[in-house]
Amino acid sequence: MPLLDALFNFARWLSHDQSEAEDLVQETFAKGLRGFDSFAPGTDFRAWMFRILRNTFLTSRTGLQAKLTVPLDAEDEAPVAVTWENPETLALASATRDALQAALDELPVVYREVILLCDVEEMKYQEIAEVLSVPIGTVMSRLSRGRKLLRQMLASERGLSAARGKSDQRK
Amino acid sequence: MSCMEWQNRIEAYVDAELPPHEMESFRAHAATCTECASSALALMEAKGALRRAGRRYVASSELRTRVLAATARQTRTTTKESTDAGMLPRKSNVLAWPRWAMAAAALLLFAAGLFFFANRYQRPSSLAEFADLHVATLASANPVEVVSTDRHTVKPWFQGRIPFTFDLPDLQGSPFTLTGGRVAYFHQEPGAHLIFAYQRHFISAFIFRDTPQLAISQSTFSDRGTSFNLQTWTQDGLRYVLVSDLNAATLQQLANLLQHRQ
Repeated sequence: MPLLDALFNFARWLSHDQSEAEDLVQETFAKGLRGFDSFAPGTDFRAWMFRILRNTFLTSRTGLQAKLTVPLDAEDEAPVAVTWENPETLALASATRDALQAALDELPVVYREVILLCDVEEMKYQEIAEVLSVPIGTVMSRLSRGRKLLRQMLASERGLSAARGKSDQRK
Repeated sequence: MSCMEWQNRIEAYVDAELPPHEMESFRAHAATCTECASSALALMEAKGALRRAGRRYVASSELRTRVLAATARQTRTTTKESTDAGMLPRKSNVLAWPRWAMAAAALLLFAAGLFFFANRYQRPSSLAEFADLHVATLASANPVEVVSTDRHTVKPWFQGRIPFTFDLPDLQGSPFTLTGGRVAYFHQEPGAHLIFAYQRHFISAFIFRDTPQLAISQSTFSDRGTSFNLQTWTQDGLRYVLVSDLNAATLQQLANLLQHRQ
């Protein structure tokens, strides 16, 4: 049942906790089944299940805390013009799996979820918009911001370790 | 469109979310603009790295069981409630929907599952397992247990070792020679593993009873990832799998000999 794995992976990333993630997934399946008549055939089943999971998470204790600690993002702001081919982008592309996972873990939940849905679940913007119940423009700006934040985190991480390496050498 | 405007669209390009004509024109633009091309490349690599890093957790078998059990329980309750509600005029409809819904849910889960599965694994694992068996056997100091070029020695050797029998073709006049055989196991099922030689190449022929675990189709059988060629077919309730570094045409030649043995 690979959908189960995908939902669990997402739940585990959101909640940071094994047993909470398991409960979330179980509840999602229960709700999905109970509300199956509200699912419109022909629409995206996967997005529907992810949406249930996410809404369940948001009303959980961890979810409520996460919502409180998330900075308000200026979503109506136009995305800033960026030059991509810079050390930050390369830092992300060449980061180790561990470094990437650590950075993703630290990313505020609004950005973490949108990146997971887009890059890991490979959902289309339209599907992500359905899961998050936001307009597509918001999906795009959150993605852009989230990735930028991730790049900055990884670049500064790398800068730190490079600096550390240098001072070690001097000793 | 200027370079600056493209820079703002690169993310959508990498996510394959630009309208088709813009996808095309970006490609044309990137062919002449190294800056945009390298940005797109770096972002694609970053996306790939994120995809690999993000697939981090797998549901435990315990959770799987829990979800399945809960799903089954709930289906029973729903069916019972609908019956108890006693909506006589539409009784058949009311009774029918949970089953219909279950079927739809199962189908959709399956479809969604396949979608993920196809994305994640380009080929079935059984295919890779046969290639592994082939490589591991050739790497061994004693690849075969019965060393013989005579089909009348090799075939009887398998008596009592595997739960079925098979026929071997007469290879005289063909470019192939039999070098021997051994017992192989696949999904706890014993089978015959024959090794044929073609010039300096070796070909593994696996013969197993055809079980659902072995339900693999030829269409998935071009293993470009490891550059092995594979051929498979079923005959008389047996599944044949040929693995070799030889080209597909030569492999097909041996397959024909095995299929039309005397």
